[in-house]
Amino acid sequence: MTAPFLAVFAMFFVAPLVYSVILSLRSPLTNGFTGLLNYRTVFSNGEYWSGVVRMGYFGLIQVSVMIGLAILLALFLDSPYCRGRKFFALVYFLPFAVPGVIAAIQWGFLLEPDLDSVLNVPHHLGLAAGPVTPLDYRLSLYAIMLIVTWEFTGYNMTILLTSLTNVPHQVLEAAKVDGCSELAIATRIKLPLIRRTIAFIVILSIIGTLQLFNEPVILNEIASIGNSFTPNQIIYNTAFSFGNEQLAAAQSVILAAITIVATVAFFGLVRRKLGPLAATRGR
Amino acid sequence: MTAATISRRRSPASLGTGGRAARRLKTTIGTAALLLVAVYVIAPIYWLVVASSKNAGQLFNSSTFLPAAHLNWISNLKSLFSYNSGDFKWWFLNSVVYAVATASLATAVSTLAGYGLAKYRFKMRGAILGVVLGALVVPATALVVPLFLLEHDVHLTNTYEGVILPLMVYPFGVYFMSIFAADAVPDTLIDSCRMDGAGEFRTFWQIGRPILMPGMVTLFLLSFIGTWNNYFLPLVLLGTESRFPLTVGLGAWASDLNLAGAGQPLYPEVIIGSLVSVLPMLVLFPFLQKYVARGLTLGAIAGE
Repeated sequence: MTAPFLAVFAMFFVAPLVYSVILSLRSPLTNGFTGLLNYRTVFSNGEYWSGVVRMGYFGLIQVSVMIGLAILLALFLDSPYCRGRKFFALVYFLPFAVPGVIAAIQWGFLLEPDLDSVLNVPHHLGLAAGPVTPLDYRLSLYAIMLIVTWEFTGYNMTILLTSLTNVPHQVLEAAKVDGCSELAIATRIKLPLIRRTIAFIVILSIIGTLQLFNEPVILNEIASIGNSFTPNQIIYNTAFSFGNEQLAAAQSVILAAITIVATVAFFGLVRRKLGPLAATRGR
Repeated sequence: MTAATISRRRSPASLGTGGRAARRLKTTIGTAALLLVAVYVIAPIYWLVVASSKNAGQLFNSSTFLPAAHLNWISNLKSLFSYNSGDFKWWFLNSVVYAVATASLATAVSTLAGYGLAKYRFKMRGAILGVVLGALVVPATALVVPLFLLEHDVHLTNTYEGVILPLMVYPFGVYFMSIFAADAVPDTLIDSCRMDGAGEFRTFWQIGRPILMPGMVTLFLLSFIGTWNNYFLPLVLLGTESRFPLTVGLGAWASDLNLAGAGQPLYPEVIIGSLVSVLPMLVLFPFLQKYVARGLTLGAIAGE
């Protein structure tokens, strides 16, 4: 039963993975084995590491804001104060159906003063010297945060909301009978019960952040924000603009290692708060 | 004492809160906040619909969020489908081919594997489950460059199979299906089917497949959306324009917007092309939402 999966898995997952490790040990010039030379080149490559650090900064702000917003929205949609829960849940989830490329095209145009008259309003009111330019070099990182948050807040909220509907009714009823306010129920009962789901979506977001590619590539095409914004863009350039596949393989392996380390580190950080892993099994 | 106060006292939901007025205030403030976020979500989609009705001149000279005096949807659509001898229509068809083929194959392969892992006890079972879980953490993009080189050697780049086969590998699907099948398919049913003399595959077909169908719908949709939206993998693996999916094609058009001397920039075509690419999914989304959300959430909860 598992044979067809294992066959394609071996050919299109394991083989490239093994191949990239082998390739990363070969010389870009002679293609002979050179040990860790490519890795040394990556470690002394400032552009690569500033891409990694940029993604660390990006993730710290963007993932926090996005997950925070998703938690707030899910808790409110799950509360008795909410009107139109179904409508909002659907609207917030809509961007999941929009490809990242198209999200970047939409926002790229909306953040260009030539195309978006709203960005000229502060200037016309005399509040700014010129139009607002969010795709300016200094601001483009935040523009990408705005886009990625747009794309994935509803996705994360949907996961949390379904998780919240699995909170047992008896627990909530008991809290109400004991006179708990809705705020206390949300923060002291619901939130701890979904903490594992929160950890899960944070890990997904960390992995996604380190792989960021589509949005900066498309924004660069619309507004020239630079083509080495993220590690993945740099890997792509190394392999296909400079034809240095061996170095690109080493960069890929290091990025995968960073991703795994970041995931494990986050897991270690929150592990004590999550409690024993088997606690909620069989729900 | 009015009926309203009595019913309020009886309602457990209002116990411990500051009464009806406070409750209404909280609802109002909360709804206002929800609407604000809804505007953030809807604005770019609404803009796409409005902007797709404008020609190049109107895009730069009319109010961003209001339709221009003359609607140019028809002429934009004509230009979209005729530009460069109708590339866009092929990109659309390619996207359909990639997404349908990948989703069908990924669903079939993952369902079989998940069912096998859930319902059979065999030597490598633990190892395979471990590998599937580990694969979830490996960033897919780390595989794309070596994948290109491997495919290049066997002449799979620039082919439909070259895109479909790697995307068929769907560790999340296997993991999802193993959890779904473990709960949904009763062992007693499988045993009784075997006792009737059915082979293992026949048992799966008659017992497993119908029970797993809702999970398969979920997997199909997740894989379909994932493939339809994918950009990085086809960008790397495809060089010939006639093989592009929509995302790569639109990306190529977008890259001409900013190039000096690239001819007339394709602003209206990029915008209406984006709309045409997302509209089918957005229209179907209310019907699909339930299935898609379930798949995402089962993964999250089982991961606990």
